[in-house]
Amino acid sequence: MNDTALVLTIAAAVGAAIPIALAALGELLAERSGVLNLGIEGMMLVGAVTAFLVGDGTGNLWLALVIGMAAAACLALVHAFLSVTLRANQIVSGLALVIFGTGLATFIGKPIEGRPLATDLHRVRIGALADIPVLGPVLFRQDPIVYATVALAAAIAFYLNKTRPGLSLRAVGESPATADSTGLDVARTRYVHVLAGGALAGAGGAYLILAQVPSWSQAGTTSGLGWIALALVVFGSWNPWRVLFGALLFGLARRANFFLQDAGVSVPAEILSMLPYALTIIVLVVWGSRDLRRRVGAPASLGLAFARDER
Amino acid sequence: MNLGFQLHRRMERSLRTDILVPVVSVLAALVAGAVFLAVEGYDPVAVYRALVEASFTTWFGITDSLAAASPLILTGLAAALTFRMKLFNIGAEGQLYLGAIGASWAGLALAAELPRPLAAVVMLLVGAAAGALWILPAAVFRAWLGTSEIITTLMLTFVGLFLMRYLIFGGASFWRDPLATNFPQGRRILPEIRFDTFGTTRVHWGLVIGVVAVVVVWVLIRFTRVGFDMKVVGSSPAAARYAGIPVRRTIMTSLLLSGALAGIAGAAEVGGRAFALDPNGLQLGLGFTGIVVAALGRYNAWGVLIVALMLGGLRNAGTALQSVSGERVPEEVSQMLQGAILLFATGGEVFLRHKLVRRRKGAALEPAPAATPAEVAA
Repeated sequence: MNDTALVLTIAAAVGAAIPIALAALGELLAERSGVLNLGIEGMMLVGAVTAFLVGDGTGNLWLALVIGMAAAACLALVHAFLSVTLRANQIVSGLALVIFGTGLATFIGKPIEGRPLATDLHRVRIGALADIPVLGPVLFRQDPIVYATVALAAAIAFYLNKTRPGLSLRAVGESPATADSTGLDVARTRYVHVLAGGALAGAGGAYLILAQVPSWSQAGTTSGLGWIALALVVFGSWNPWRVLFGALLFGLARRANFFLQDAGVSVPAEILSMLPYALTIIVLVVWGSRDLRRRVGAPASLGLAFARDER
Repeated sequence: MNLGFQLHRRMERSLRTDILVPVVSVLAALVAGAVFLAVEGYDPVAVYRALVEASFTTWFGITDSLAAASPLILTGLAAALTFRMKLFNIGAEGQLYLGAIGASWAGLALAAELPRPLAAVVMLLVGAAAGALWILPAAVFRAWLGTSEIITTLMLTFVGLFLMRYLIFGGASFWRDPLATNFPQGRRILPEIRFDTFGTTRVHWGLVIGVVAVVVVWVLIRFTRVGFDMKVVGSSPAAARYAGIPVRRTIMTSLLLSGALAGIAGAAEVGGRAFALDPNGLQLGLGFTGIVVAALGRYNAWGVLIVALMLGGLRNAGTALQSVSGERVPEEVSQMLQGAILLFATGGEVFLRHKLVRRRKGAALEPAPAATPAEVAA
């Protein structure tokens, strides 16, 4: 009774939600500052491959996580330089990042293709709570990064809504010209949040390789999760809690096959894979209708470069 | 951030900077790539020589590069057509898959009864229609609800990808090859209706279709009413509405045409190269690379053609590198270089419109010159 297929599916869905949640929370920060970064997939791959190399070389998984985050942040820096300082087209720059990052990760990862990582993140058992039926495996037998991700969503929600820098961030994303005229440094705000976004995408990639995927392979490691994370930000309408909830939903869609097979229902895996993308379109169309957009929509200057002298 | 430099708008654009900037960007990317290769322990000179030899010096290298360029011309045009009017169809990848699905359906179901040239035409038309159909929801949402086409076209790409995988891997699918039992494959179209190749090369009619499309798009934008409307809507939707230009219809036209071009790219891939649905869809990345092509080609039809031929060579080199003796060069080098070139070119683009001016200490901000009419039109 303890570990039915449904419980195991939900527990697995929580794990599957984490990499997309991390990457999406990072993208949320970048987009809230007004910078659209389509390069998540590339940054996740680079984060994953560097984390593997460091973890494999040193055996220290936390160091691997940190270096993976730093490597992805370096890629994000390129995007920030192009889109903020040089005011290049953010869409083109982001896609270039995907192509470059995928090539780079595959190139660096060539020697380790298919090799498993010796160590694994240990799951935490939270005392007696872990033995509670149903809730135990779902909530209290996950690894530390799962809990850290929930804390991160809470921290970002607090930062955005209750702190002064968070207010500045929102101002920069909504109306950089106004923010600039009040003395805020638009460029620095954007740099900081694009870099933070890159680091979190790297964390998502690193988590994949450290906790979920048994070995490195370019096609198999992220398998399009970066794009799902991008969808997730829209699905969660730029709100950290809704992003976290959406991540669980998307994670469930990714792991539902296991349960459905057990229940004797056969839904083609491809149809389930379509769900996150189809749902995002629906959400965007419904919530994007003009009167609602004011309240739950995208930051007003998302995707637009800002130059003081060209207003 | 004060870096001691300031970007100033150029008053006028010159042909010299128009050519110099992209060339310098590409060279800078190659230098950066060389440094990286050297750090990784490869001999950059040997790698680059191998790249050029593989793609541009032998007859088969050149013709294979042309074959690799064919779909990129079409997806590049698909991106250019919308990007230049500040609509961002980034889902050419998905529209290409739908084009491939439509064309292989037409090839399998209809074409057996048709004479050869007609079969090709039917496949291309069905492919174009399928591609246009795939962008239709995004176009309607954009034109009537103002929903961002960036996200919807991207999302539809992945819905299209999984639809294609379902048609290949799904048990009783019409598109599935019933004979491929070990690893599912798309069902191949009959050899009689495959596109002709030229001589012993892999160049097929897709290249001709691509070049024709370049001319058509150029004429459309340069000489027709629709093209003019697109330009006005791109620079200022408000002005266009005021001038009586049907903004919604123009948005629909350009997005649907873009989808159709990407669909034709998919159809030509089925007719001329793959002959069946390809489960590796995303790894080829023809649609996404089309955006790269359009950006490097400055969203101009002829620019797209030139860049597509160049990138086609680079992509082709990726596979050809494996067979070059001597230096063991991983084929991923070509993809990394593509990305690097694109990043540098994207950054370089700013210098077409601006020049870097050293900011003097203590000097007041110089007033920026207003945009010239030429820039507004561009």
